[in-house]
Amino acid sequence: MHELGMLMNGVATLAANPMALLLSLVGVALGIVIGALPGLTATMGVAILLPFTFGMDPVSGLLMISGVFFGGVYGGSVTAILLKIPGTPAAAATAMDGFELTKKGMAGVALGTATLSSFLGGMASILVLIFLAPVLAGFALEFSASESFALAVFGLSIIASISGKSVVKGLIAGFLGLLIATVGMDPMGGFPRFTGGYTELFNVPFIPVMIGLFAAAEAFKSMEDPKVRLGMAAALGRIIPPWATYKSLLGVVSRSSILGIVIGIIPGAGSDIAAYVAYNEARRFSKTPENYGKGELGGVAACEAGANGCTGGALLTMLTLGIPGDAVTAVMLGALTLQGLQPGPLLFKEHGDLVFTLFAGMIFCYVGMLVLGLGSLRFMGRILQMPKSVLTPVILALCVVGTYAINNSLFDIGIMLAAGVAGYFMQKWDFPASPVVLALIMGPMAEANFRRALSLSGGSYDFLYTRPITAVLLTVAILTMLLPLVKRWRADRAGASGGAAAGPLEASK
Amino acid sequence: MSNAPVQGGGAGAPLSTKIANLVIAVVLIAVAAAAIASTGDFPKTMLAADVGPARFPIIHASVLIVLCLILIANTLRMPTIADDTPPVGVAGYAGVALGILATAACLYAMEYVGYAVATVVYMAALMWLMGQRSPLWNPVIAVVVTAVIYFTFQSALQVPLPVGSLFE
Repeated sequence: MHELGMLMNGVATLAANPMALLLSLVGVALGIVIGALPGLTATMGVAILLPFTFGMDPVSGLLMISGVFFGGVYGGSVTAILLKIPGTPAAAATAMDGFELTKKGMAGVALGTATLSSFLGGMASILVLIFLAPVLAGFALEFSASESFALAVFGLSIIASISGKSVVKGLIAGFLGLLIATVGMDPMGGFPRFTGGYTELFNVPFIPVMIGLFAAAEAFKSMEDPKVRLGMAAALGRIIPPWATYKSLLGVVSRSSILGIVIGIIPGAGSDIAAYVAYNEARRFSKTPENYGKGELGGVAACEAGANGCTGGALLTMLTLGIPGDAVTAVMLGALTLQGLQPGPLLFKEHGDLVFTLFAGMIFCYVGMLVLGLGSLRFMGRILQMPKSVLTPVILALCVVGTYAINNSLFDIGIMLAAGVAGYFMQKWDFPASPVVLALIMGPMAEANFRRALSLSGGSYDFLYTRPITAVLLTVAILTMLLPLVKRWRADRAGASGGAAAGPLEASK
Repeated sequence: MSNAPVQGGGAGAPLSTKIANLVIAVVLIAVAAAAIASTGDFPKTMLAADVGPARFPIIHASVLIVLCLILIANTLRMPTIADDTPPVGVAGYAGVALGILATAACLYAMEYVGYAVATVVYMAALMWLMGQRSPLWNPVIAVVVTAVIYFTFQSALQVPLPVGSLFE
């Protein structure tokens, strides 16, 4: 195998450059911290670090940035699981089951599962990047606006399955999120919609809403009764999951990693979409789907493997075609160019040795992430032992500063506060917050790509069924959306014959 | 309230949940209707093949109205059951309200006195609100936590935090 030989040469070159190894570990550690802090995403971390890499040699600089990228995607899960603060948008999916596991006293196993799954998903994606890059690069070119629209609709169809106790309330939350997602500049004409004249609303305030709905709402809820502490139920407990437990999750991790890689390859789709899609597929294939949302390790494993699987996929199109898969790789594209490297088909030919040294370094980054992650979890878990009277103010202070950091805007803090109040009442009356976040991620993508596809097809709606990938994704989306409703309807019919009556669209199953 | 067996219809819900369902549904219908009404001011698209800026908001708002009507119908026909969850009580809701007000006050104050001062007072006040009433430890913890956050964001991550118009 030509690639294996090149990789071995890369390993040898890297071993002779201890500074690059050290800087990649520094990058991973910084990435974990940045990912864990609300409001700071991997994109921001890479952008902040970029100027520091100018004076470094290409391998050291690019590996440090890769380390921040990988660590940033993983780091969001730590605070999502421990405190229900999703450090990154992808971690909002992890928080659904991760925080429930913490409330059950299984925070350690949840964190360990997240770390192992992130590692496996990330490693799988790097191996695919190394060995299948030229084969898969063409797949990205098959994705035009209509396929991206179908992918967004597929993502939105998940709303029915993450609706919790009531499908109708989940759908209401989802469509409210879609309506909020239309706030800002019209994606085609640039006309400001529902902004009330505020320039701060020209972009959908997605991260402030997410921080408010998840973290601030939970903090406000804990103020209802300050005497109730997280206490023993929140003890970290065992970190590495028992082999028998994790063995049963390997199928979920494999499937989610593949989904993450495929989604990562698609331009415009990132780890947040991968995490939600992987979660839904894990739930669909599970023998106990009713446990999802109530603290299921499979949910955590799926989200993390999917999100980190995205990393290699996003790098694949960036390196082979010069097309960044997401915002982070767009910044990395700039970093490569600054180092005098031109991403594209010629990169592998002209700088093969350097590229495979980078690949070896990326594997090292993921191994480093596993070691640093597992090693630091016991320390990070200590925050659960803090008294609630200190922990809640710290969470709220982090929410405030994290929200401000996104755009250096006090206006965003106001949005976060409003979302926090709304989230508190949503929790109270069982309106799930996840569909709102999902809709905020997918809504703009769906609208922009639908309208682009419509313009490209000259106003004809044929693209909805004449393009194979679009047709398949839309069909699966419709089935995903309708299946929970049909299941509930059949259960209602069975119940009605036994004398029980229940309304349509109401679901606890 | 929140742990009732099925919310929104079917097996029944406590009276407070039913009232909440109805109020929320009505509020959301009003919001959606207002959104549809304001799309009337959106300009027509210049592209013949485009659906224009109003189409998607109208679709989302219309579906939202239909779903809220379904929620209202289900809520009205569901039986009322006893609430088996422990009540939060006036003190509990007062705590939440004060926490929200403190956050709003912190946001307001930050513009004038800057991030550091506003956050120290905010954190100390929240700790006091949550039952930690130590005159020594509250300010110490608040200052230390604020200093760590300030250093992390301002110095390490190069995020400029508000200085406050009084100190500019």
